[in-house]
Amino acid sequence: MSPADNPLPALVSMRGIVKRFGANIVLRTVDFEVRAGEVHALLGENGAGKSTLMKVLLGIHKPDEGTILVRGEPLASVSTRARLDAGVAMIFQELSLVPAMSVADNLFLGREPVLFGGRIDRRRIRREAAELIAKQGFALDPDARIEDLPFAARQQVEILKALSRGASVIVMDEPTSSLTVREEEVLHATIAQLRGAGIGIVYISHRMSEIFRVADRLSIIKDGQIQGPFATDQITIPEVSRLMARSASVVVMKPQARREPGEIVLEVVGLSTARKLRDIGLAVRAGEIVGIAGLVGSGRSTLAKALFGLLLDARGDVRLCGREIGALATPPRIRAGMALVPEDRRAEGLVAQHSLAANVALPNLAELTSRWPGVLSWRRETEMFLGFREALHIACREPAQPASELSGGNQQKVVFAKWFASNPKLLILDEPTAGVDVNAKAEMRALVLQAAEKGMAVLLITSELDELAGLADRLIYMVDGQLVAGEATARGEEEIRTVLQQLAVTHEAA
Amino acid sequence: MSNSILTSSPIAAARHALGWHKAKRLARDHITFIVFGLITLFFILHAPNFASLATANAIGRITAVVSIMAVGMTMVIMCREIDLSVGALASLSAMVGAMLMQTGIAPWLSIPVMTAFGALIGLVNGLIVTRLRIPSFLVTLGMLSILSGTALTLTDSLPVPIGDRTLGKIMANGTLIGLPAAVWWTVVFALAGIYVLHLSVIGRQMAATGGNEAAARFSGIDVDRAKVVAFAVCGACASFAGYMLAARASAGNPSVGVGLELNVIAAVIIGGTSLFGGRGSVIGSVIGAIFIGILAFGLVVIGLSTTIQEIVKGVIIILAVSLNRR
Repeated sequence: MSPADNPLPALVSMRGIVKRFGANIVLRTVDFEVRAGEVHALLGENGAGKSTLMKVLLGIHKPDEGTILVRGEPLASVSTRARLDAGVAMIFQELSLVPAMSVADNLFLGREPVLFGGRIDRRRIRREAAELIAKQGFALDPDARIEDLPFAARQQVEILKALSRGASVIVMDEPTSSLTVREEEVLHATIAQLRGAGIGIVYISHRMSEIFRVADRLSIIKDGQIQGPFATDQITIPEVSRLMARSASVVVMKPQARREPGEIVLEVVGLSTARKLRDIGLAVRAGEIVGIAGLVGSGRSTLAKALFGLLLDARGDVRLCGREIGALATPPRIRAGMALVPEDRRAEGLVAQHSLAANVALPNLAELTSRWPGVLSWRRETEMFLGFREALHIACREPAQPASELSGGNQQKVVFAKWFASNPKLLILDEPTAGVDVNAKAEMRALVLQAAEKGMAVLLITSELDELAGLADRLIYMVDGQLVAGEATARGEEEIRTVLQQLAVTHEAA
Repeated sequence: MSNSILTSSPIAAARHALGWHKAKRLARDHITFIVFGLITLFFILHAPNFASLATANAIGRITAVVSIMAVGMTMVIMCREIDLSVGALASLSAMVGAMLMQTGIAPWLSIPVMTAFGALIGLVNGLIVTRLRIPSFLVTLGMLSILSGTALTLTDSLPVPIGDRTLGKIMANGTLIGLPAAVWWTVVFALAGIYVLHLSVIGRQMAATGGNEAAARFSGIDVDRAKVVAFAVCGACASFAGYMLAARASAGNPSVGVGLELNVIAAVIIGGTSLFGGRGSVIGSVIGAIFIGILAFGLVVIGLSTTIQEIVKGVIIILAVSLNRR
């Protein structure tokens, strides 16, 4: 169906949006629109460009090309303030409310009505807040403190805040990720009500069943390109899954020569943390790639950090090549042969302002000393980097170039290099291809295979299901801090997706 | 590339742009040193007899204390921490050192003892910061109060005379190949600082800690140890400098270091070390300290009253730091 068939006008329409971060093109000529009274779902894997598109919509990022029309008028200013005035608001995953303040105070935060002498008109805030709540029919007490409210109620306050500022388009980013099943019903009722009032909603979610229940139309972002919109009653879940999957040419095919798993390298028994992990047990053999599948927030990154000795509250047995290391801190674990490519490259993987050579050297300083006691050999440091520059095809000017100047894919290669240089027995990869472009993804996957072929045990955590399907020899599912469903042998991407969704549903019900 | 402007090929143009870009970046990175040079030039032109060895020696002597303290402070700031207690530690060290000399200890032996004393205080700072996870700003602010209070309490605010003359010679006033001892000590500390911060493994660990603490931790760096070492070195430098002040004056004065920490931090920042950690240099800090010294000295020589001096000094420091911000 074309937009012309629909009588509802577009509240916001984005045309030909292009966004680049350095050499990395994140959005490639994307069109996206929201009509009055519709729920438009936006789907896509992590790093596909969803959040970038929304940040462009909200004025956090300035698009390199393209226009944004609000009710047919082009939007001149890029500031977030201008977007708020134009009626575009976002309900964040991490809600932007002040916990210690009341519902009414939060609703009027930053635009409090004042009395003579600059005093805040508390009575008016309270009265108008009550009116707003009544108008939407929410069961909220304007005097309740935010910190005392359940999550769904906080969400309602966020929505009210947006509406009271005249929002006509509301972006909801994973709105159900922190809600219980009952709270979800409340949210869906709220959405129905907003839709009836002519508000346009952009609904971002990973949960397919939910999208088909809530949304009128859906669009899919994949590698910076958008597909759709499709009316939800004219498309099926399998079709959407297929559209989300990457094209065959990009997926690294499994090598024909099967790697023969060797000795057990990592053995974990009863690993738990105070809040997230519960009784984790798993084993990884040399030359084996074990994939961990799980939804966002299931505790996969926590597991990686616990294994690496970064969490003080982790309890349980961790054995590396038969040696118990569960009580050790990170440095001795690295010496014992562990390596972690962390989830957040910029925050955890690199010292961005330091040189490439210094970054690769960081976990390997002990091996780079010269004849003088405790003195680094700059020559050996440079040689180490140059070796990996060639082996991993790192595109850069010189070893002294700051890491911040490289593209995402090349930065990730530097992180790989620093751990390959340490010659680990176990390589833990947490979202190794997040936020890098398609070609770099393929290169990164080749590196993972290479590592396994060299005899490293690889623990692969990723939200990219085609990556799990294409790389992992064995899959483990993770739900809510537990490893479940034993060690399933699901192969295909859609199969994994289905299992994950079933697990999520059964777990919520339990 | 001699005729790069004439050639119209895009590559040549790009190269030319790159060269220009590089030159611009170099100038921007060292803008404070350019300003520093210009101000020195101003004094040379306008102050009588400014450009002389005597002036240089005098400035070297008066800036030695701040220079030496700045070497240690550079390491702390590299780790993205701060040490506000160095001035108070200098005061306390002047007192403790003078009292130590009264016990009849050999002067040459008292120097390493006092340096170790400072390292110990710095160690305590570092351990409180890393073990109790209290921001260093607060820990060292508290320590400032404790140390200066202790210095005053020791003798009920009275100075302690140092009878021995050799100490003053070794630490400050003696000369070797025409240079005052204070200048030699500055050189020794600067070289040691360069060795630790720029050549050794621990220095690299400090830089990584300040540059991105999470990444350093994820790379297996013992971040806490790097910080503790930085605080200990900073304490050692401060204590040595305080003892130098006592040796120079032949007396330990309990308020000799008051306010020194501000000059030291200013020297480090003027020298190009980022207050946000991860980037900096020992030699820059020493140059920063000398700059502050030249400024103070030059303002006296051109005849500004000491009260106006302070104002001018403050303005120039703010200007220098704002130019150096990245």
